[in-house]
Amino acid sequence: MKTEHSKASAPHLTLFMPLIFIRSLEKKLLLQLKNFFLTMQEFFLFSLRSFVAFPKMVRYWRDVLDQATICGTDSIPIVLVSAISIGALLAIEVGNLLEDFGAKTMLGRSTALSVIRELGPLLMGLMLSARFGSRNGAELGAMQISEQIDALRAFGTDPIAKLVMPRLVAALIMFLPLTALSDFAGLQSAAYMAEHYHRIDPGIFWNAVYPRLAPKDFVVGFLKAPVFAVIITLVSCFNGFSARGGTAGVGRSTIKGIVVSSGLVLIANFYVSKIVLENM
Amino acid sequence: MIELRNVSLKYGEREILKNVSLTIKDNTIKAILGPSGVGKSTILKLMLGLIKPNSGQVIIDGTDITCMKERSLYSIRRKMGMVFQGNALFDSLTISQNLGFFLRENMKLPEAEISQKVAEQIQFAGLEGYEDQLPESLSGGMRRRVAIGRALIFKPHMILFDEPTAGLDPVSSKKILSLISSLRNHNNLGAVIVTHIIDDVFHVADSVAVLYQGEIIFDDVTEKLHEADHPFIRSILSDKILEL
Repeated sequence: MKTEHSKASAPHLTLFMPLIFIRSLEKKLLLQLKNFFLTMQEFFLFSLRSFVAFPKMVRYWRDVLDQATICGTDSIPIVLVSAISIGALLAIEVGNLLEDFGAKTMLGRSTALSVIRELGPLLMGLMLSARFGSRNGAELGAMQISEQIDALRAFGTDPIAKLVMPRLVAALIMFLPLTALSDFAGLQSAAYMAEHYHRIDPGIFWNAVYPRLAPKDFVVGFLKAPVFAVIITLVSCFNGFSARGGTAGVGRSTIKGIVVSSGLVLIANFYVSKIVLENM
Repeated sequence: MIELRNVSLKYGEREILKNVSLTIKDNTIKAILGPSGVGKSTILKLMLGLIKPNSGQVIIDGTDITCMKERSLYSIRRKMGMVFQGNALFDSLTISQNLGFFLRENMKLPEAEISQKVAEQIQFAGLEGYEDQLPESLSGGMRRRVAIGRALIFKPHMILFDEPTAGLDPVSSKKILSLISSLRNHNNLGAVIVTHIIDDVFHVADSVAVLYQGEIIFDDVTEKLHEADHPFIRSILSDKILEL
């Protein structure tokens, strides 16, 4: 009897299977969309509270200094390594290309534009997203899961003012000199390769750099520093604060922070260049 | 006095607390007993306003804190000290910095006075010589004593303990429970203790509330727990320690 019933209901179920699948997919998508907008709302409020906490900078100046050392001074080696290697590579590749057109003397100009407008700030942003962002995510995530952030709140301290604002201020202050350092190191390594690899006289190289650089080239490059500082700090700190589920949760939130902030740095890099170059 | 009135809380689809009502009077020790993951720690966080209930009221000394903004909650939180389950000591600060954290953050006291109060707590916790150590270098029992000292330093009216003896050896557990009793007897300090260890309840609590499947199934003086006829209470009385 039971078998007969099962046999009778089988075609009926098969008929509705796609419909059930579509319904469950629709439900899942709606839930994900809802979660996305809720997260965006939380992130917006988190960012707002971080900026509103700026007047407390005077109170937490020691934390600002500590974070400035972490994201600034301690980041110098990685910024230098990336800038030097990319500047040298750029000089070799672009020099080879320009040689085909008999325009090797233009190497200084093309390298300078690439480094100052794009590669210097972008590499610095990506390196700091990995270094400073991962540190923020892991440190704050560990504090979240060990209830240290709850403890701060329980003792009457605003955790955003104590933990996020100093990081944001420090990044805003330190990303500018780091961008300048990245540009300088990239150009120096390009000049070195121009002289020793392409046999271009340093005078010719630098002569193609200085007179050709316009203010907008510096605006494009240096405007990116505060934009990247805000993106990297807020995204990584927000992910740290959102860590749940033990040590694995800290790992997940740290990775998410790096991936999202690096992606946003790349997108912001494009839009800042586009907007400034179109309007200046 | 702390009051929870018909408090309900949901995490997503999961119902953590269902219509929970509790009253904790000043200068008394109340235990909240229940298995792990049932929402006991959540009750403590509700009392501090660290999380908001979906419905119901949390009233501290006659003030409804349910819808209070974070900034207004700080003055309420100063009435209560909290000892977290994992101690939640700030791991980048030394023991004396941890103890003095609240005073430096929230009270405009001269540094000499802060140092004196910290020294008193160091002595109280029996941690002389460990002032400049980081929390990671201390044993579990020592860290718990630092966490208690940190919660006591600003002289709260009530102290909230989240699993005060969890993860401690029997000797350290006994010391911590004696400390909690002496705080009530000598300092007139009320306490709320969240635990899954029934012996802890009989050791220190004046009254006990049993939380089971999000509901309070017993709330009375500790002695009457033996008279309760709920099957869950009968089973925990025979097993002594709840399923972890």
